[in-house]
Amino acid sequence: MELNELYALMEKFEKSGLSELVYKRNGDEVCLKKVLTSPPAPAPAVVQVPVSRPVHEPRAPSPEAPAKKGPESELITAPLVGTFYRAAAPDAPPFVEIGDVVKKGKTLCILEAMKLMNEFQAEFDLEIVNILVENGRMVEYGTPLFEVRRT
Amino acid sequence: MIQSLLIANRGEIAVRIIRCCRQMGIRSVIAYSQADRDCLPVLMADDKVCIGPPPARDSYLNVRNLVTAAVLTHCDAVHPGVGFLAENADFARDVRDAGLLFIGPDPEVIELLGDKIRAKHSARELGIPVIPGSDGSVGSREALAAARKIGYPVIVKAAAGGGGKGMRIVRAGGELADVLAIASHEAEKAFSDGTMYLEKYLENPRHVEIQIVADRKGNVVHLGERDCTVQQNHQKLVEESPSLAVDPEMRRRMGDDAVRLLKSLGYTGAGTVEFLVQEGKHYFMEVNARVQVEHPVSEMVTGVDIIRQQILAASEQPLEIRQEEVRLDGYAVECRINARSAGKVVRFHVPGGFGVRMDTFLYSGYSVPPWYDHLVAKLIVSGRSRTEGIRRMEGALSELVIEGIATNLEAQKKIVAHPAFRRGDYGTGFLGEVQKEGIL
Repeated sequence: MELNELYALMEKFEKSGLSELVYKRNGDEVCLKKVLTSPPAPAPAVVQVPVSRPVHEPRAPSPEAPAKKGPESELITAPLVGTFYRAAAPDAPPFVEIGDVVKKGKTLCILEAMKLMNEFQAEFDLEIVNILVENGRMVEYGTPLFEVRRT
Repeated sequence: MIQSLLIANRGEIAVRIIRCCRQMGIRSVIAYSQADRDCLPVLMADDKVCIGPPPARDSYLNVRNLVTAAVLTHCDAVHPGVGFLAENADFARDVRDAGLLFIGPDPEVIELLGDKIRAKHSARELGIPVIPGSDGSVGSREALAAARKIGYPVIVKAAAGGGGKGMRIVRAGGELADVLAIASHEAEKAFSDGTMYLEKYLENPRHVEIQIVADRKGNVVHLGERDCTVQQNHQKLVEESPSLAVDPEMRRRMGDDAVRLLKSLGYTGAGTVEFLVQEGKHYFMEVNARVQVEHPVSEMVTGVDIIRQQILAASEQPLEIRQEEVRLDGYAVECRINARSAGKVVRFHVPGGFGVRMDTFLYSGYSVPPWYDHLVAKLIVSGRSRTEGIRRMEGALSELVIEGIATNLEAQKKIVAHPAFRRGDYGTGFLGEVQKEGIL
């Protein structure tokens, strides 16, 4: 099996509702399992309409979601396509954690695009209400990254 | 063989490429702007990546986001489609540097052909007839000298030109210097390059182009000609094959010239060599180093899937057709349906039947965004003869329903019904004349 095929399979599997997949072809065998350690992260709650949240199937709004959100929280979205990193290096501490209150100019994350590390900074003083993307994930233009509240 | 293909384009050409991917068992990934979230190719592709906001310069022309999207979605190739970055050598280079295949010629070839002066020079060196003109780029002094030598009217053109920008006809010497300065300024603004050259202006010629497919094994095959004489402000509206202005002997000569030129350049993929034809003679004009909007016309008469050949060529596979097998079987014609307004398509009906093909990205309920090219559909029909094909086109045009947006559908019906079009005796000035009759 080609690496690309494997990647494509992994991607499809990840998006699927399956928890385990065994795939055999021409003597190759691939077994994919989802590790369910913690309950799945809550779907990003939507206060404003996210600028670009690619939707495969229109998702029904979670009933309790709107109630949980402070009225003034807002979403910071990805300004480019890239890989999302929460820290400067694999062993370094994350730039920010949920609940952190940071000043304008503080680095929030790194977006890697074409081997360039783009540091992405707070444009105003803010509190991190939620971090919406897992470390190392690909983000599209407009993917919500952080839910924040101005301070 | 390519496994996963990123499509760096939108609209009907993206749909066309996705269909080909499906047929070939290739995973398709569509790059799209925020304005195109509900666009048909986004609904059809196996995967999708939003690459920017609506303005094209921030999305479909955003090289960094496109290449990153291709890498992160594990694609091994990028198809640039038509327009946008299709003839951008830097994009082709960045795709290659990222370790991906670019579906098209090498960046060096795109660069050479993008410079119309160098392209013309390459053709002349091979003994291919070119339109008489200046020897390379001109300032006002060289332009005056060249024009005196070849005689008026002349046309000044931008070396980096395309789409009629930086192009002006000059009928007398007095105005040449001023017109040249204006055209150069226009070219500078449009292409960041104000280099100009000058040619004899041919009155009312026919625009005839040769379709080429080439693989990486040295095979270069031409699929005959398309006649794209029906143009409005240098924008093609109706294309047909074969051309009434070309006989078998002339087809052989034009095809041979086109093949020799692209072979000498080490060209790969689909390309078009454009000629002007007047009084039985053909003159090289330029090469479009990409697949063209009107490629289905050649597909319909030859039975060769041009997008498929492009993908095979990029994958180092040989072409599926040899020159001696190419036949122009019957006749095909395409009408471009252009939107004249953006908005929601409330009712959409696609014509059908024997010999009818529609390439489009419209569907009922789809909102045409105001940001991009106005082409919304291509209606292509074939027939055993030109008469049969045109009658079929008339029938298909009358079946087509697009409600909610303004289009050029009625104008297309009038063009196809026009006696001069029926007779076939017209040049590139045809639509200008028809407009004066007040029927468009």
